[in-house]
Amino acid sequence: MSTPVLICDDSSVARKQIALSLPKDWDIDIHFAKNGQEGVESIRQHKGDVVFLDLNMPVMSGYEVLETIKREDLPAIVIVISGDVQSKAYKKVRELGAIDFIEKPINKEKLTVILEQYGIYKPGGYSSHSTPVIEDRVELRDALQEVSNIAMGHAGDLLGRLLDVFILLPVPNVNTLESSELHMTLSHIAEYEKVSAVSQGFIGSGINGEAIIIFHDASFSDMAKLLQYEDLESQHLEIEVMNDISNILIGAFLNGLAEQLSIPFSQSQPIVLGQHAKIEDIIRNQQESWQKMLTIEVNYRIQDHDIKCDLLLLFTEDSIPVIQTQLGYLLD
Amino acid sequence: MATNIDLKDIHWLIDMVHNIDVGLVIIEKDYTVKVWNGFMENHSGILSANMIDKKITDVFTSIPQTWLQQKINSVCLLKNKAFTTWEQRPYLFKFKSYRPITSNAEFMFQNVTFLPLADFQGQITQICMIVYDVTDIALTKQAFQKANSQLKHLSHTDSLTQLNNQGHWRNLCENEFINSKNSASPTSMIIFDIDHFKKVNDTYGHPFGDEVLKGIAEAIRQKSKKQDIIGRVGGEEFTLLLLDTNLKQAKLVAERLREAIEEIEFEFQGKQVKVTASFGVAQITESITNFESWIEVADLGLYIAKNNGRNQVGVSKH
Repeated sequence: MSTPVLICDDSSVARKQIALSLPKDWDIDIHFAKNGQEGVESIRQHKGDVVFLDLNMPVMSGYEVLETIKREDLPAIVIVISGDVQSKAYKKVRELGAIDFIEKPINKEKLTVILEQYGIYKPGGYSSHSTPVIEDRVELRDALQEVSNIAMGHAGDLLGRLLDVFILLPVPNVNTLESSELHMTLSHIAEYEKVSAVSQGFIGSGINGEAIIIFHDASFSDMAKLLQYEDLESQHLEIEVMNDISNILIGAFLNGLAEQLSIPFSQSQPIVLGQHAKIEDIIRNQQESWQKMLTIEVNYRIQDHDIKCDLLLLFTEDSIPVIQTQLGYLLD
Repeated sequence: MATNIDLKDIHWLIDMVHNIDVGLVIIEKDYTVKVWNGFMENHSGILSANMIDKKITDVFTSIPQTWLQQKINSVCLLKNKAFTTWEQRPYLFKFKSYRPITSNAEFMFQNVTFLPLADFQGQITQICMIVYDVTDIALTKQAFQKANSQLKHLSHTDSLTQLNNQGHWRNLCENEFINSKNSASPTSMIIFDIDHFKKVNDTYGHPFGDEVLKGIAEAIRQKSKKQDIIGRVGGEEFTLLLLDTNLKQAKLVAERLREAIEEIEFEFQGKQVKVTASFGVAQITESITNFESWIEVADLGLYIAKNNGRNQVGVSKH
């Protein structure tokens, strides 16, 4: 009898990549779930004896799925496949009963080794496995979302290691906006609070944009404490904190993006856009020539601390076709 | 860059590194200097031969070691650039301004980029520091910020008394009204008006009237707390927002102010002149739904004081 295998990930790109990475000679019956809740339902219906589980998903996260499996003692072997590469995340999922953890983007050889190691799959046992049917078409937005997810995970891991904390990773938001709609995204990030922001430009091979980090003013004292800057003598502690956090988050995110797009970027010096003001007064589109822009929004939160900071990547309109070409390997 | 580098290529590369008008320094992780280019030699007055193999923090003692270590850690961990700007630290190396005569900068403002350099195994072994002279940008931005803050001050301030002007005081009043609705502590307001001020002006002239206004502004400043928000909102009308103060306490403050004003002795051509003022007081209560009606209630108190014979404090029931 075929083994029921469940791929539970909110990203259609990731679902497709995982499905295509499974050994061809494995006798399985593949099912898909788009979030934790759908995943748990499928497991209850015995559609997932082996589960490949993402962590950061809407509706119900991978952590919650693991908790439910444990609580209800559901018959499922879980392998986590996530862009959250923090060692604390790894530890947490192992404690919750996942047998192993694979970093995104998924590596086919590594996956096969793990499956063999746990005796879930034996090579050469079966020969009629056809290419799995993938339910929906991959759009640019989905592809970029998954690429951002991985870049975000690397940036979060570095920030977490530097500050020795666990970073709560969200689902990154990818959108194509009319230039006039930028303020909506901004007010979504901070409607009533005062914020400060730093911007760094980046450019390479026809992709051009700005990476902006938005700091919520209430977070500064906690952040200086975590960076152990309290004793540091500096007239401009806040700018020091802002520039250092930006170095980490923007640098690591752009590195992750550059790697997946196969494009190296040049980065400008950080510029403080403004401090302690309303977000729409700090961040303005000064270029009327852009009709559209592509945005990636990542809202980082730090567990057990009152720290919020948001990474906003804005790409110019003429970068969009280049990104599309570079991500061709993920698209249909 | 070409993978096969000829000897003559190395020659021009070194020449370029030495002559480029940007500071280039390469250090080991233990701060030992390995490269010190011409820009650094000329601005520091220390020749490359005297810098190589010395610890940078031993020669430039003004570079804070913990700070530098943090940058180096971050560069090695991230394997990516780190940036520091003149806004967080005006300079790393204290150099004289490039234009020592016509520039008013005492020193060179610098942006510094820290670049990780990997060996052939991909391990970060050295860090390259690129030092940019950003003096002109820094001076322009500082002048701009100063001009802006002066403009802001001017647009918020009454030039005669240096108190908040009407427009700004009303903005602050609105903010405090919103804050008080979200907080448990009481907030009160005093409005007062100099009695028969027109007569003072007509009798002694406007320059003397201005002296009276300035004297009264000074008296309020002395009698009020630091967090009180004081404004001149009309010709002879003044206001105070009292945070964390209830109606009873605000009435006491108004009474003290009334006495203080009554006691000021102004001098006109050797003759003593005194003035009095009438006060209205109001606390934000549940029935007051916007800052304008708060001002109205205080104003009503002021009318009561005027009608009852002036030089007193009036409260309209609220």
